[in-house]
Amino acid sequence: MKGILTDVTKCIGCGDCVKACSKRNGLPAIPQKDYRSRDGLSGERYTSVLHIKKDDQTSFVRKQCRHCLKPACASACIVGALQTTPEGAVIYDKKKCIGCRYCMMACPFGIPRYEWKSPVPYIQKCTLCYEQIKDDGSPACTSECRQQATIFGDRDELLKIAKQRIADNPDGYINKVFGEKEVGGTSVLYISNVPLEFLAWKPDIGDKPLPDLTWAALSKVPPVALGMAGVMAGTYWIIERRMKLANGEESELKETELKETDNE
Amino acid sequence: MNRLNTVKSILWALVSVGIVLAITRFISGLGVVTDLSDDVPWGLWIVFDVMGGVALAAGGFVIAATVYIFHLDKYKPIVRPAVLTAFLGYNAVGIGLMFDLGIPWRIWHAMIYWQHHSVLFEVAWCVMLYLTVLALEFAPVVFEHKWLQHPLLQTIHRMLKWATIPLVIAGIVLSTLHQSSLGSLFLIMPHRLHALWYSPLLPLLFFVTAIGLGLMMVTLESFFSTWLFNHKPKQHLLAGLGKAASIVLFLYVALRLIDLTVRGQIGLLFDPSWQSMLFTFEIMVSALIPAILLSFASLRARSDVLLACSIMVVFGMVLYRFDVGLIAIQKLPGSVYFPTWIEIMISASLVSGAALVYIFCAENFKLFIDEDHAEAAQDKIKYSAPVFDAVSNVYLGDSFRKNVLVFSTISILVVGITAALLPGTAFSGYRALDAPVQEARGLDILTIDGNRSNEFVRFDHKDHAKRLSDMLGAKEGCIKCHHANLPKDGVSSCSSCHSDMYNTTSIFNHESHVEKMKGNKSCVQCHPADQSKSKVTVKRCTTCHQELFKNIENSKENNYAARSYFEAMHALCIPCHTEHKTNGHHADLDQCKTCHTNPPSDPMAPINILLIDKTQE
Repeated sequence: MKGILTDVTKCIGCGDCVKACSKRNGLPAIPQKDYRSRDGLSGERYTSVLHIKKDDQTSFVRKQCRHCLKPACASACIVGALQTTPEGAVIYDKKKCIGCRYCMMACPFGIPRYEWKSPVPYIQKCTLCYEQIKDDGSPACTSECRQQATIFGDRDELLKIAKQRIADNPDGYINKVFGEKEVGGTSVLYISNVPLEFLAWKPDIGDKPLPDLTWAALSKVPPVALGMAGVMAGTYWIIERRMKLANGEESELKETELKETDNE
Repeated sequence: MNRLNTVKSILWALVSVGIVLAITRFISGLGVVTDLSDDVPWGLWIVFDVMGGVALAAGGFVIAATVYIFHLDKYKPIVRPAVLTAFLGYNAVGIGLMFDLGIPWRIWHAMIYWQHHSVLFEVAWCVMLYLTVLALEFAPVVFEHKWLQHPLLQTIHRMLKWATIPLVIAGIVLSTLHQSSLGSLFLIMPHRLHALWYSPLLPLLFFVTAIGLGLMMVTLESFFSTWLFNHKPKQHLLAGLGKAASIVLFLYVALRLIDLTVRGQIGLLFDPSWQSMLFTFEIMVSALIPAILLSFASLRARSDVLLACSIMVVFGMVLYRFDVGLIAIQKLPGSVYFPTWIEIMISASLVSGAALVYIFCAENFKLFIDEDHAEAAQDKIKYSAPVFDAVSNVYLGDSFRKNVLVFSTISILVVGITAALLPGTAFSGYRALDAPVQEARGLDILTIDGNRSNEFVRFDHKDHAKRLSDMLGAKEGCIKCHHANLPKDGVSSCSSCHSDMYNTTSIFNHESHVEKMKGNKSCVQCHPADQSKSKVTVKRCTTCHQELFKNIENSKENNYAARSYFEAMHALCIPCHTEHKTNGHHADLDQCKTCHTNPPSDPMAPINILLIDKTQE
């Protein structure tokens, strides 16, 4: 299980990660002007460096796909175009995608972006450079980071490093590894001196994996279907029988009449 | 022209608009024709065409259950129209999806790539199967037509009739599943849906509202067809539907309120926010008021009350879908979605198309099995009178031919008008237009909303054009603001150059220089290697661009500087105001409040546009 650890305190905001990412993924060097993209991510950007100003001090926070351990996007995808891999990367198979954009609605971090400008549009998002990491390579962003602010490795080891750094310098960090537990844990972890809740849609997204919320309803589909079918068939049968009995007490002539009207 | 033909003409016109717009959508993609963005990926087509459409078609399974399962035979006259409405509704949903999906020709992927953890997967299968069921349920009506009396077809007809009950039960089960699953779609996004609407009970709430809405939709549709075809109103039946709806709607209101209480969110109702007002309005219109009105036997016996209630419920319950799917969904601050006219017209033409097919079925099949109506149909003489044009007295053929003539003329006209109204980008898509540079054709001084913030300022276009083209050349100068325009991209905002509030700012584009000079290694071409990189130590622009300032006599490099935002916004007003003040005309002419007539709490709120226009006289 691989992952990325981004140390916000070490980042100097040079943007080399963004350039490396665009280069490896074949994205245009300068994205087309799209004023709606407020966080820098778009159909042409998998990662961006946000400038967070607080108390006259600017922190640089790199935004990218969090590669959730139980991703909402993958559970939402109708055709399974988004999938988790043993390495921890959440990858996208553009050959399957039908373009329903449910993943964009489901993602708690607002990561998947769409190629709105194209007549044959696809979802675009970070794949943790899956093609490279499955051959023991590393993602473009981490290998280009000269500050070692964002590093790639085993998720468990990264967690250990993160906790060690916080323990070594408790005043320099918020005592929390962002991504350790949120929505069931993410492969991309952050440690920071500024709160990072803004990376998600809501400050408190909870530790419960989001697919569980859907599954609670979806797992009840077979019993509901069978139950409904049973109740309806039963009701039909009972009422039908009662009406027959009620009619049966009257003359047979009437019964034949009833059948005729039924046939109409 | 009689009532029916007027309605048909309008519907044909709307359908024709839709056909043109549909072509546009597939040529140029979603980004051009819709207002959707990464921030609001689901818009009108999902909440109205799909979620609303499925809910509005709920009458089919509700009435089928009433008649066939609960044996309430008196409702039999409305089964056929209800099933037909449902069938057409689901067809509209399917076609609507074709517009909304990014890659609609892959819709069959839902059948081969199974992902049973996705709610959408379940919805897709249920809708597909239910559409089949509805087709089979309605098929017997079609087989009654006199042209389809072949023995083989009649065998199928008999088999279908025999299968009515299993089909009805299958329809009820499938409807239960997908009506509720449309609510389940939003279970995965507690982070986006407002707490007044997000609930673990969403599936149940969607199912219950579908029943209530189905009953009232059948009522409304019945009113419509009585009006359209001059039938006798079926008042006693509709009152019965109203009674049932009243119970269901009360149940729904109770569920909503209990759910809020149990989740501990009832307090949100009393927040002075637009969400709480919307919630209250929605509950009142969609359920509470109609439920109360319909609970009185004397009131629901009146057709005006019934009509009002059905309109309220249909509007309110569709609003509920809008709220859950769009309005109460959290967006980034400042992000706005409002459907474009193309989105709205495509939705409208879908509904119109369905209505046209409904009218076609009503005219050609035994849709209404009222006894009096059946007799009337038999008495109808199979003869259509010749029609002459009212003005020219030209013979137009029989009434069928006349209709073909009229409707196709309307369609052709509307297609033409729509094509003319389309924005230039509709067919070119998001590709940048390489428009030739033209002389400015407008006024020298304009009143513009330069930052799209409703703050209007006077803008000296001539001065900007001169300054920039002196600096960058005629073409580049224009492109600085009117860049090779992309749709929705307009001209650059004022603040893209005048970016600092009080200081002069540089409009030197560092990023594009870096890009053109191939990145990091080229820094030293401008920044001396032994000095720190800054504005002070950098080489002069003229080192490389000798030609750049040759047009300007007094070559000052600070031409690459834009005035501060404050100064730029006020430059055309303040000089005159100051001058007139010193002349002693108006003592307070140069004070902020002269133009910013807003309360002191919000001094920067939009200033009065009429005020600016006055100065141009």
